[in-house]
Amino acid sequence: MFAKLKKKIAEETAVAQRPGGTPRIPRSVSKESVASMGADSGDDFASDGSSSREDLSSQLLRRNEQIRKLEARLSDYAEQVRNLQKIKEKLEIALEKHQDSSMRKFQEQNETFQANRAKMAEGLALALARKDQEWSEKVDQLEKEKRFLTAQLQEMKNQSLNLFQRRDELDELEGFQQQELSKVKHMLLKKEESLGKMEEELEARTRELSRTQEELMTSNQMSLDLSQKLEELQRHSSTLEEQRDLVTASKAGTENKITALEQKEQELQALNQQLSTDLQKITTETQEKERVIIHLQERVASLEKRLEQNFSGEEHVQELLKEKTAAEHNLEATRQQLLAARSSQAKAIDTLETRVKELEQSLQASEEKLKQSSDIIASQETQIQELATANKESSSAQQQILALEHQCTERTQALEAQLATLERTRAAEQTATEQEMKELKQENATLKEIKNECEHSLQDHQLELKKLKEEWNQREIVSVAMAQALEEVRKQREEFQQQIANLTTIIEEKEQSLQEKTKVILQKEQEILQLQEGHDTSLLQMHQLQSELEALRSLRAEESEVAGTQEEELLRLSGQEQDVVPHAASRTMQDPLYQLPAAEGILNGEVVTTDLGQLQKEKQDLEQQLLEKNKTIKQMQQRMLELRKTLQKELKIRPDNELFEVREKSGSEIPNMAPSVTNNADLTEAREINFEYLKHVVLKFMSCRESEAFHLIKAVSVLLNFSQEEENMLKETLEYKMSWFGSKPAPKGSIRPSISNSRIPWS
Amino acid sequence: MGGFFSSIFSSLFGTREMRILILGLDGAGKTTILYRLQVGEVVTTIPTIGFNVETVTYKNLKFQVWDLGGQTSIRPYWRCYYSNTDAVIYVVDSCDRDRIGISKSELVAMLEEEELRKAILVVFANKQDMEQAMTPSEMANSLGLPALKDRKWQIFKTSATKGTGLDEAMEWLVETLKSRQ
Repeated sequence: MFAKLKKKIAEETAVAQRPGGTPRIPRSVSKESVASMGADSGDDFASDGSSSREDLSSQLLRRNEQIRKLEARLSDYAEQVRNLQKIKEKLEIALEKHQDSSMRKFQEQNETFQANRAKMAEGLALALARKDQEWSEKVDQLEKEKRFLTAQLQEMKNQSLNLFQRRDELDELEGFQQQELSKVKHMLLKKEESLGKMEEELEARTRELSRTQEELMTSNQMSLDLSQKLEELQRHSSTLEEQRDLVTASKAGTENKITALEQKEQELQALNQQLSTDLQKITTETQEKERVIIHLQERVASLEKRLEQNFSGEEHVQELLKEKTAAEHNLEATRQQLLAARSSQAKAIDTLETRVKELEQSLQASEEKLKQSSDIIASQETQIQELATANKESSSAQQQILALEHQCTERTQALEAQLATLERTRAAEQTATEQEMKELKQENATLKEIKNECEHSLQDHQLELKKLKEEWNQREIVSVAMAQALEEVRKQREEFQQQIANLTTIIEEKEQSLQEKTKVILQKEQEILQLQEGHDTSLLQMHQLQSELEALRSLRAEESEVAGTQEEELLRLSGQEQDVVPHAASRTMQDPLYQLPAAEGILNGEVVTTDLGQLQKEKQDLEQQLLEKNKTIKQMQQRMLELRKTLQKELKIRPDNELFEVREKSGSEIPNMAPSVTNNADLTEAREINFEYLKHVVLKFMSCRESEAFHLIKAVSVLLNFSQEEENMLKETLEYKMSWFGSKPAPKGSIRPSISNSRIPWS
Repeated sequence: MGGFFSSIFSSLFGTREMRILILGLDGAGKTTILYRLQVGEVVTTIPTIGFNVETVTYKNLKFQVWDLGGQTSIRPYWRCYYSNTDAVIYVVDSCDRDRIGISKSELVAMLEEEELRKAILVVFANKQDMEQAMTPSEMANSLGLPALKDRKWQIFKTSATKGTGLDEAMEWLVETLKSRQ
């Protein structure tokens, strides 16, 4: 049991002495321990002298041995105490260091954490508020837009109603127009009809005119014909007169002829008488000739009889026959001559008779002719008379014709005048109608234009309506999307809030743990103080122990037993106290306080052991607490890192590690770091705001009107640390842009980012 | 000829826009006032980091109104906008009694600027619809307005959300600007 303890202590001392090799030995402990060693040896001999027997000597020896043992133990104890003191000091130092460091760390952590938390909470709250505001703004805007759109829609509806009314009006107008048009058309048709009528009339008139002209022509021709006829008749009459003259002449001729013919007749009658006398002579001659012929025929018959009687003499007969035939021929020829003469005579008579007859006939014919000619003359005279009458008639007719011609000309003139007037009226009417037509066309055109315009406007309105509807739909979609986004944002916000709540709970927990730890530290300080007190008291007790060793000797066995039990109790207690960390300090604080006075009064050795045990216990506790605190510190550091990361993620700030490191450094270097941290936070915030401000100003500068941009030049140049030259250049450029004239200012060499100028950081 | 050109030029450039700055601490209601003046409606605003500029026409007078963000970190940039300013509308939150001192110091610093020597000052004691609002006289005293010399100034109690007092203030401003010309 003790050996184990010793071993442990030895190990501990070895462990304790190894680092640093006892740099600081507590003065009081070392001196007293040396003194106690000396005092122990003296006391032992003195106690030896008090007993005189052998028993006593043996006892003494035993006691001595025990004492030696005890001394050894005591020295061991002293050593242990020294070691413990050393350990305690070290522990104190370590504890102080630890306390300091842990306090610092806690402060750091706490402050950084609080700062972080505050920042994060602020940031989150700001972001949330902004988002909320934005969304509410957006929602408001959307609602406004919606209202506006509904108003527009209503307007559009009204407009469409107006349009419909307009359309109706238009339709009415168109109806009216069409009616008017139809009226106009009707009028036009009427006019055209009247025009046609007039034209027809005109044509009829012209036809009449032409007819009259033709009549005139025909009458002229007739008059011409008549004059020709007259001429012909005159000619005829002259010819007839000539013929009459001729006929009279021929009558005279014929009368002469008739006398001549009568003379001839007389001659012929004379001739005829001669011829009749001739004829009587011829007949007497023919009778003589016929007597001769009969004579001759008797001779021919006597001769033929002679011939027949005389054949011998034939040649003579033949010749006589020949002579007879010739004589017969002669006879016949004379007969024929006679016959011919007679026939010719008859013929001549016949001819003469026929001639007479003919002459008589011709006479009769000429007489008839005469009669006829006289008739003809009479008829011609009548004809002439008739012709004269006809001539008179023709002259009258000519006069009539002239009159007619006059009339015709007059009429034609009148007709022409009428025609002209009609044409004029027609032209006027035409012009009027044309004008009317034009007017109507214009009206029509204007109406059509109006209609077109109305239609256009209608179409435009419809298009607008469509567009607006589309826009409305889009807006609705957008609003729906926005509402969704809003919901998401709300969810996010809720999440954030939950996170914040979690974080706050964590923070609270940590604060609690911190408070607990500070309490524990305070307790430990008190404990240390108590331990020191206890140590002092224990030293005093040691002195008392040395002085009261005699009393102890009788109670050694019991002591050892009691010590054993106490050790066990101690171990048990330490086990218990390992379990219950936060209350351990109070108990350890209480335990020595309550146990020490008790041990002081009754059992000194026990007190030492209990003290030692308590010290060990406390040490162990402290070590454990230190370990735990280290662990908790590490955990908190990890948490802080995590929180930082999440914060950075959620605030969408680019990881500014450098900044953070700086802040950490400053935090670690400056012990009183709360103001510095807030300064840093302010600084970063100011930087963010400055950056945002710069962004906004530059954006506006680029987007706004030139007159507005002109006022922004200074702000931009201040924000971007422009030099005076650069600012002037910017001003000149803007002035050039604003003015209508002038030339572009030449860029000077100094526009390039001047490297020589030391850059002044933000704020 | 010259008259003709001058008439053209006057028609083109004669109606110069009045340049007005709306200044004040953050949250005083500058942006709300600007948009109340411009569109006549109350808009929901976010803290202005930067500025808003709008053209407001009031009584045939065109104003180029600049609403500059009033947060502490960007207040130093106000002075970048001071040149050629005809009037300054200084908006004060009537309920913010804690920061009236800051408001006063900012106002005093602003009025000391040479570029704003001729600018007319109109103070809007805004948020008068709130119950605990300061009265205009109280505010004028706490802002040190009576001590101002060589400065045309006037204080009006306004409520941007209710729209009260803005018309009177603008009326006064227009009249003062017209009489100054």
